[in-house]
Amino acid sequence: MRIVTSSKGHPLYEELVSIVGADRVTDSPVILSAYSKDASHLTAERPGIVVLPQSVEEVQAIVRLCASTKTALVTAGGRNGICGACLPRVRDAVMLDMVKMDGLVRLDEDVMTVTVEAGLRWAELIHMLDERGYKLGFRGPYGGSAGTVGGSVSSNSIGYAASKFGPANEGVVSLQVVLANGEVLRTGTGWNPNASLFGRYSAYNDLTGLFLGDYGTLGVKTKVTLKIYPRAEHLAYGDFGFKTLEDATAAFLEIQKRGLTEELNLLADRQSTDTFFPGFLDSHPEIKAMFAAIVQEDDEELARRKMEIVREIALRHGGKDLGNFASQMHWGEMFNLVQPLFNNGFWLNTCHLRPIPSIPTVMKRLWVIFKKYKMPKNGIKWIASCLGSERAYTTGWFTIFSPTREKMDEALKIWNEMLDAIMETGGCPYWSGRLWENRVLARTDPVFLATYRTLKRALDPDNILNPHVFEGV
Amino acid sequence: MELRNLQQYQDELWLCARCGDCSLADKIVASHRDVYHPCAVKNVLGFEAYASRGRIMIMNDLLDGALEVNQDVVDWLYTCTTCKSCQEACMATAEGIRLPEMVEALRRDVVAAGFDVPRHREIEESIVAEGNPYRELASKRLELFGDRDWPEQAEVVYFVGCTSAYREKEIAQTTVELLDKIGVDYTVLQDERCCGSVLLRLGHTEHFDELTRHNIEAIERTGAKTVVTACAGCYRTWKIDMPREGHKYKFEVLHITEYLDRLVQEGRVAFESPEPIVVTYHDPCHLGRHAEVYEAPRRVLQAVRSLELVEMRTNRRYAHCCGSGGGVKSTYGQLANQVAANRLEEAEETGATTLVTACPFCHRGLTDGAKYAGKEIDIVDLPTFVLPYLVEREKAVGVEGENPLKERFMEYLRAHPKIFDGLKRGAVIDYDIDGDRFHVLVTGKSAIEVQPVRAENPDVELLFSRGAVERLIQNESEDDYAAEFGRLFKEPTDEEWIKFNLRLNIVKLLMKGYRKFAQKAGLI
Repeated sequence: MRIVTSSKGHPLYEELVSIVGADRVTDSPVILSAYSKDASHLTAERPGIVVLPQSVEEVQAIVRLCASTKTALVTAGGRNGICGACLPRVRDAVMLDMVKMDGLVRLDEDVMTVTVEAGLRWAELIHMLDERGYKLGFRGPYGGSAGTVGGSVSSNSIGYAASKFGPANEGVVSLQVVLANGEVLRTGTGWNPNASLFGRYSAYNDLTGLFLGDYGTLGVKTKVTLKIYPRAEHLAYGDFGFKTLEDATAAFLEIQKRGLTEELNLLADRQSTDTFFPGFLDSHPEIKAMFAAIVQEDDEELARRKMEIVREIALRHGGKDLGNFASQMHWGEMFNLVQPLFNNGFWLNTCHLRPIPSIPTVMKRLWVIFKKYKMPKNGIKWIASCLGSERAYTTGWFTIFSPTREKMDEALKIWNEMLDAIMETGGCPYWSGRLWENRVLARTDPVFLATYRTLKRALDPDNILNPHVFEGV
Repeated sequence: MELRNLQQYQDELWLCARCGDCSLADKIVASHRDVYHPCAVKNVLGFEAYASRGRIMIMNDLLDGALEVNQDVVDWLYTCTTCKSCQEACMATAEGIRLPEMVEALRRDVVAAGFDVPRHREIEESIVAEGNPYRELASKRLELFGDRDWPEQAEVVYFVGCTSAYREKEIAQTTVELLDKIGVDYTVLQDERCCGSVLLRLGHTEHFDELTRHNIEAIERTGAKTVVTACAGCYRTWKIDMPREGHKYKFEVLHITEYLDRLVQEGRVAFESPEPIVVTYHDPCHLGRHAEVYEAPRRVLQAVRSLELVEMRTNRRYAHCCGSGGGVKSTYGQLANQVAANRLEEAEETGATTLVTACPFCHRGLTDGAKYAGKEIDIVDLPTFVLPYLVEREKAVGVEGENPLKERFMEYLRAHPKIFDGLKRGAVIDYDIDGDRFHVLVTGKSAIEVQPVRAENPDVELLFSRGAVERLIQNESEDDYAAEFGRLFKEPTDEEWIKFNLRLNIVKLLMKGYRKFAQKAGLI
């Protein structure tokens, strides 16, 4: 069904209609406006036409069409990333809006994998698996209500349950990818047409890894196979406060090293706790930093004991038991934690990874910046949150909020200084996009970059797949 | 082109960070809310431009000059049912980003600029000429009731509404029959005119004030203390829009479901089905999300003996729209039919044999959707549904005998209103003991009302085990209660536990004073 008519001015309009039908193609400027941004302030070119494919065969036909006409093709998932990765770098690009490819393809209980179409959202996948008695490892990015599995594994996403399972890509067993020539590749054990998708590493090198975090530059992901686990019913929660960030970091590191928690989230200063959870530390004036710990197991005693160990570690590092309200809210409000923060204004993010011991170092740099700009008295609030990720590293989710449009210029100045400080203290962005790309390129080893570009030329000789990504903005 | 009305929302439009919850969220398992792909229109049309996130991007482009208003914009603009589902799903601001208001503001702007949908002009002309949008004669408005003299004075006015008067006559006829059988002292207006809802929804607002003044004066002449309507659209207009547009009236306005609920609670009305029957209920957007009446219709249905009420996957504040509102049915009939067909699929998934709704426009939209999609589920409006089950007043037994523990808990809370100190007036907490509900409404400092029924739209739902309640009500002081409450939440056992569901986003909860409440309860 169509309401707003297409302009029919895009050179590929008619051919795309012949592939998917007129209801799932549009080049109307009104409709395209809704594809002009992701969840960041960053801007780029608007797509020239948007298509809603529903099958791998349609994706193949679209890719072949783009290849034959040397037209740029950009693949988009839930479009709520915060680095501008799904925004085209060139005009008149064809954008694939993948959200209609959202089916659960196969739940293989024998080998504990689930194969889904790339446009399926994390929250829906959790819902589907929960009804069948299973859970995922990595549970989705904080925007997992709209964020798609395909989008996340294309952008090195990280989020819920990373403490135990690591980032999104660690859970991937196999991919189905439409290559730039329109052929379909199955990775992992998928090289053998007689085999189920049970393993990632088999016979050859890890082709799955080649396409993870590629921002759609090497192929269009149409299916993703993920590891699953038995649904674990037993949860234990704990909130712990510390007089210094150094103490909090030491406890955080020890807990993370021992692999005790499903989720471990540190708020690096009082201001961060107050922005995230106003009033939480009112009764604890001595507390400067805190973390919320969540243990999830399929055995009640095991969950309880693990949380006891977490508590012992926290107390040994001078921690104070703050109860478990924050951690219960943190976990119970899954995928709802970020949105209420918008009440503080539009966000500017600096998402990256770093070794846990470097948290105090970067925070000292950031506090200097915050002080210089008289934050939060100038109306700009911040959150410095660190999410433990498998073994011993963490995210740095250091975000500021511009309360008004008028404050945006000042906020952007602060944000740029933060980005520099993060890089200088050894931070490595997990996603790149327009947010980080220039800073990343400036530091990337030439051999690393040349290797990537060789692969890109080999797989996409006409440079049609998300062109000019990793070339600077 | 000047976008004077939309401009007022510029800051809020800028604030949207495009998280996409309004478009794609499934919160059923992850955060125990019944949000599932909130935009019923986007679910049919597919492109992001039809969900709130996309609409906000387009509106920002219009305000920034990146897009200009043209016929494509107008076509797009009238695809929104203004059902408010996106706003309920949105957590970015305390109220959620007010997309329905923004859509109506932009509609006013495009109408003012001379952009038009011919059908909308016809609707406006018909309302001005005949007091209804259907191009029917005003003189025939009450024909459906046959030859009947309506009293000039009565306790209650039944405000019929245009759709019931001219299109969904059975709803009006059964409502009247129901009121007759119950013995209500009521009348209908001899010169009732359109409530003006459709004009507000379409952005044709010029004649709204004049219609409203006419209807208020007509009701005042009857001396009625209460106005009852069976139309959710009329109800929303009376309750929400008229006061917002500056109109005042002294009488009480109730939806028929609220009125029947009151009679049931008072023991004046009883219903009984001769056979077991399974029904599901569709929340009209105007009655539910816009006016926050969710439980009254459910209580009326549950008052029908031998009836089992089963809920759809999306229900109450997160219920999908039927597709008829906001001018969509009159502008894009096929779109409305497909949205309705999707809603009917949800109804069929429940296994219910009957879908009950409480709005003539929903009834019509769903019935048309059923024809369009070949659905066979019975679709009945609430007055029509309950009429055959009405039993003699002597058989009315009022509300079921109460759970003694619930009674004791309610009594305890009434005696300890200071538990709720710190909460702002209007805060509502729902209590659930084994599925038996009651709620506390904060009416002032150390002042509460404890009502024995589930709240219409609580801030928080607290769920208690029986053991937890037994322990809590032993505490003599509010401080001891708070400490016990905190302990039961933080250290639950199989027998003694408290859980809760946040029904509002955390920003709004903090604004209502729950921070102090949580501190007093020892939670933070």
